[in-house]
Amino acid sequence: MTTRRFIVEPRGLASPQLTLLVPVASVIAALVVGGVFLLLTGENPLSVYAKMVDAAFGSSRGVSETLISATPLILTGVAAAVAFKMLVWNIGAEGQFLMGAVFAAGVAIWLGDGAPPAVALPIMIIAGGLGGAVWAAGSAIPRVYMGTNEIITTLMLNFIALNFMNYLIFGSGSPWRDPAVSTFPQGRPVPEGARLPEFFNRLDIGIFVAIALAAVAWYLIGKTRWGFAVRIVGDSAETAHYSGIGVNQKILSVFLLSGAFAGFAGGLFVSGPVGALDPRSLDLGLGFTGIIVAALARLNPLAVIPVAVLMGALNNAGPSLQSIGVPTATVTMLQGAILIFAVAGEFFIGNRLRRPDRASSPVPEGAEAA
Amino acid sequence: MNESQLILTIFAAIGLGTPLIFATVGEIITERAGILNLGVQGMMLVGAVAGFWATFKTGSLTLGVVVAVIAGAALSVIHAYASITLRVSQIVSGLALTLFGTGLASFLGRAGSEPLVGNPSRKVFEPLISGGIADWPLVGPLLLGHDILVYLAWVVAAGASYYLFRTRMGLSLRAVGEDPASAESAGVNVAWVRYAHVMAGGALAGLGGAYFSLALVPTWQDDPIGAAGWIAIALVILASWRPGRAVFAAYLFGAAERVQFTLQTIGEPWSNIPSTLLAMLPFLLAIIAMIVLTSGKRARFLGAPAALGIPYFREQR
Repeated sequence: MTTRRFIVEPRGLASPQLTLLVPVASVIAALVVGGVFLLLTGENPLSVYAKMVDAAFGSSRGVSETLISATPLILTGVAAAVAFKMLVWNIGAEGQFLMGAVFAAGVAIWLGDGAPPAVALPIMIIAGGLGGAVWAAGSAIPRVYMGTNEIITTLMLNFIALNFMNYLIFGSGSPWRDPAVSTFPQGRPVPEGARLPEFFNRLDIGIFVAIALAAVAWYLIGKTRWGFAVRIVGDSAETAHYSGIGVNQKILSVFLLSGAFAGFAGGLFVSGPVGALDPRSLDLGLGFTGIIVAALARLNPLAVIPVAVLMGALNNAGPSLQSIGVPTATVTMLQGAILIFAVAGEFFIGNRLRRPDRASSPVPEGAEAA
Repeated sequence: MNESQLILTIFAAIGLGTPLIFATVGEIITERAGILNLGVQGMMLVGAVAGFWATFKTGSLTLGVVVAVIAGAALSVIHAYASITLRVSQIVSGLALTLFGTGLASFLGRAGSEPLVGNPSRKVFEPLISGGIADWPLVGPLLLGHDILVYLAWVVAAGASYYLFRTRMGLSLRAVGEDPASAESAGVNVAWVRYAHVMAGGALAGLGGAYFSLALVPTWQDDPIGAAGWIAIALVILASWRPGRAVFAAYLFGAAERVQFTLQTIGEPWSNIPSTLLAMLPFLLAIIAMIVLTSGKRARFLGAPAALGIPYFREQR
């Protein structure tokens, strides 16, 4: 190991500039990688990206649609952030989001036309959170009480939730299904009183609810005794155990909270832009995109908000690419690449590279070449 | 259900289980090195599109398989670099690989002036033997009359089993997954072993993906593999990290996927069960098996590699 060019050292606390630089650099690097693939398939990356910026931010309608796309991502991003911070690997935001939508739509339809919005809307959003938490419990309880790996169970529950939603709409005459449509089944529209008021084109007040909930998550994790205990468990379950913290109880509560946030997203999406339990409008992978949001926001619930707007912009821009003959999947590819660079970037936040310094201290034994 | 329907179901289950064998054995090899790769779904999809593309351009199935294997291995290098060299979270890195691979496969299938999407494959894997002995009752449809990749899956599983438990290399591999520090002091290059076996896992996932696009559903569409990559990750645990058991677990899940079609064809009252509910079956099966197999004390006998998912720092020896 005499040809070592760099020495890798763990870094204590990264500077704020660096923690901002790494996510920004991740996005730029992903755009470069995406650009290479666009070039290989005969497109001009710059004009594709220009088209995307224009679709996402170029008009008041574009901006409002971007924020509509961002709203559920704020909450699925927070869902992943609070769980991952504690090393609870909830990969099930997708299913929890769908079950939130199922619960919220169910409650709204059950309440019917009579309920005033001031009653129907809060109940609906809470029902969404409850749906998400119930679905998360399906993985949280086996994890806490039987030690079952939550990665697999949350993943599998995603597919069960998706099929359950499809069953309610396509496979049965459930109350969620619109009885007026018989040719291609659709979700029954929720009553007018259960729709969030719109204030900027189609953008509804759900975005404020999402931002407020993200702030609540930030406060809970960062500023309360409970959050302090949770962060200790996340750093070291052993330390937490010896300092008298109920580790299992903390894991359970964080898991359910994470599920609830994904469920809130489902509730807001149904009471907002979608207005029904509509499988085609809900099966968009918003739970998985939330993981990208959380990683790029470095698991900070407040940083999730701007990152969700960026991912919402990408999602919103995707379909516009078809008009210039570029696949919508360009966006999925870019988002995946962003996550790859964001997770790799954690290395640079956690470690520092320096040139070997021959004059002073000897090379630490076993330091890795990079 | 009559006899011929049962045989048809088993025949189809073997076909549906084949890509799961490739992907599961691949992930077993990867995890035996101590690296968890949640990117199986992404690697399979990229293998599927790469294999389809190569066969579409050249008309050669062999080339399609080779390109799929290379593509899966190439994608896995990203995860290897992130988890072995940079030592960042293997879970997030694997998910990133899946999300990127899913997007990339869909992009490549639709990009360009003559996109692949909607096109049937120029060649499809056909049964190796048809007529003659393949028509023998029972043995014919169950053991004979499959395409070559079904048999290759058996060879891969048997070979992986031999490699893991009967060779020096396999011993080193298992040592790296159990206790990398001890393996290193016994002269094994931990990083090298991990890179090689992450790539081997990627190659097999790519092959599994190509089985979808060149045999099971040989018309390119955005998502030809369903949830096979995720199922494979669950199967690793159900097979308790042993390639031999992976074959049976994969066929069981192939059967669970097939059941919905079988029930549709055998008439009332079974055909009344909504397909959306039957589609949950493999996932329910995976969850129940997970809980039963891994709960409490049983987990210790399952044989998970002790260093699975834990980054290895040489300086912490």
